[in-house]
Amino acid sequence: MDTMKLEIVTPIGPIFSGEVKSATFPGAEGEFGVLPEHASLVSLLDAGVIEIEKADGTKESIVIDSGYVKVDEAKTLVVVEGAVPITGATESEIAKAISEAKELVKKSSNSDFAIASVEAKVEAAAKTRF
Amino acid sequence: MANLKEIKLQIASVKGTQKTTRAMKLVSQAKLKRAEELAKRSRVYAQKLDELVSEIAYEINQNKVGGSDSRLVQADLPVTTVDIICLTADKGLCGGFNVTTLKKTLELIREYKEKHIAVRLRVVGRKAIDYFRYNGQPMTDEVIGLSASPDYKQAAEFIRASLDDFNEEKTDRVVLVYNGFKNMLTQELRVQQLLPVDISTVEPRELKSTIEYEPEGHEELLNALLTKYVEYSMYYGLLDSLAAEHSARMQAMDNATNNASERVNELTVAYNKARQESITTELIEIISGMEALK
Repeated sequence: MDTMKLEIVTPIGPIFSGEVKSATFPGAEGEFGVLPEHASLVSLLDAGVIEIEKADGTKESIVIDSGYVKVDEAKTLVVVEGAVPITGATESEIAKAISEAKELVKKSSNSDFAIASVEAKVEAAAKTRF
Repeated sequence: MANLKEIKLQIASVKGTQKTTRAMKLVSQAKLKRAEELAKRSRVYAQKLDELVSEIAYEINQNKVGGSDSRLVQADLPVTTVDIICLTADKGLCGGFNVTTLKKTLELIREYKEKHIAVRLRVVGRKAIDYFRYNGQPMTDEVIGLSASPDYKQAAEFIRASLDDFNEEKTDRVVLVYNGFKNMLTQELRVQQLLPVDISTVEPRELKSTIEYEPEGHEELLNALLTKYVEYSMYYGLLDSLAAEHSARMQAMDNATNNASERVNELTVAYNKARQESITTELIEIISGMEALK
């Protein structure tokens, strides 16, 4: 099995659901990656970026403020309060998403380091796409 | 002849009102659809959160005989102070929607007072705030605008104040009173205990494998999860109440439109009668005048 099911839900509704090759999460005790058939795990998440490699090899970044991830045999479930996917067909759409994401992180985190690291990651992710 | 004119004016005015009520009904209908959709989408989050809470609750029941020490789940606290959160709409014209909630809140306050339990009132919605202010009921917190456009962050902030007081042992119970959406035609009064959270009713789920927890120790995770749970319950209350408000208004406006139609019919009959009468009187006058000349 080279993919796993990943679901991301927020109070406003589900924002991601699909098969992925791998995902990286901003855990409360450090960043960690999850591959298919990872051991069962429940972790608190801090403000940061979830990086996903989808089944077709494309990458996606989703900025979150805080929440949980639960990994088990069947699927990986992410429950977060606020999330902004960094996607868009045009450069201006992505720029808009990035500024929204920065807002989200600034509101929920007061650590300058966390904010800076999110900004760097998001911008790097956006650059690879254009 | 003045009578005829008056009736005509009245008919025009009722028709005008009818136009307004019909428009309001359509607006509510559209808004109801959106509110329902919002509530439906957010229910997914509730399910997943429930799943997580139940798994951790199961772990705690397994590993600790005495259960959790967290104050958030102590079901048998001695109650001396209660936070009542009363949730109504900002606007009226929706039948008994607001009044039933207010009545229930007053009833609860009376009940607690009889048991010598102090009550703090935290109010969301202009209608309730106006009502309690008029009645001289002191309020700890008042929020306007949240019930018309629920926002997760704002809802969380609002309930966080209650949560903090609860954690600092200033209050021993938090109750939410609101009118929820049952279906298009009925609203259902809901009284929901937000705190302490009763995890004994959460269905524990058997797990296939052991789970690793990060950070270690369930307490911290459970506390953080339950905080989210309570925040979400408040948010969902707002969504539910909004849907109910629109369905109540839709119905109220539908009734008003129908009543207006009835009234227009009555007035039209009266108008026709008056017209006929005036014609008859005129004819009699002319005829009797002619007769007199003969």
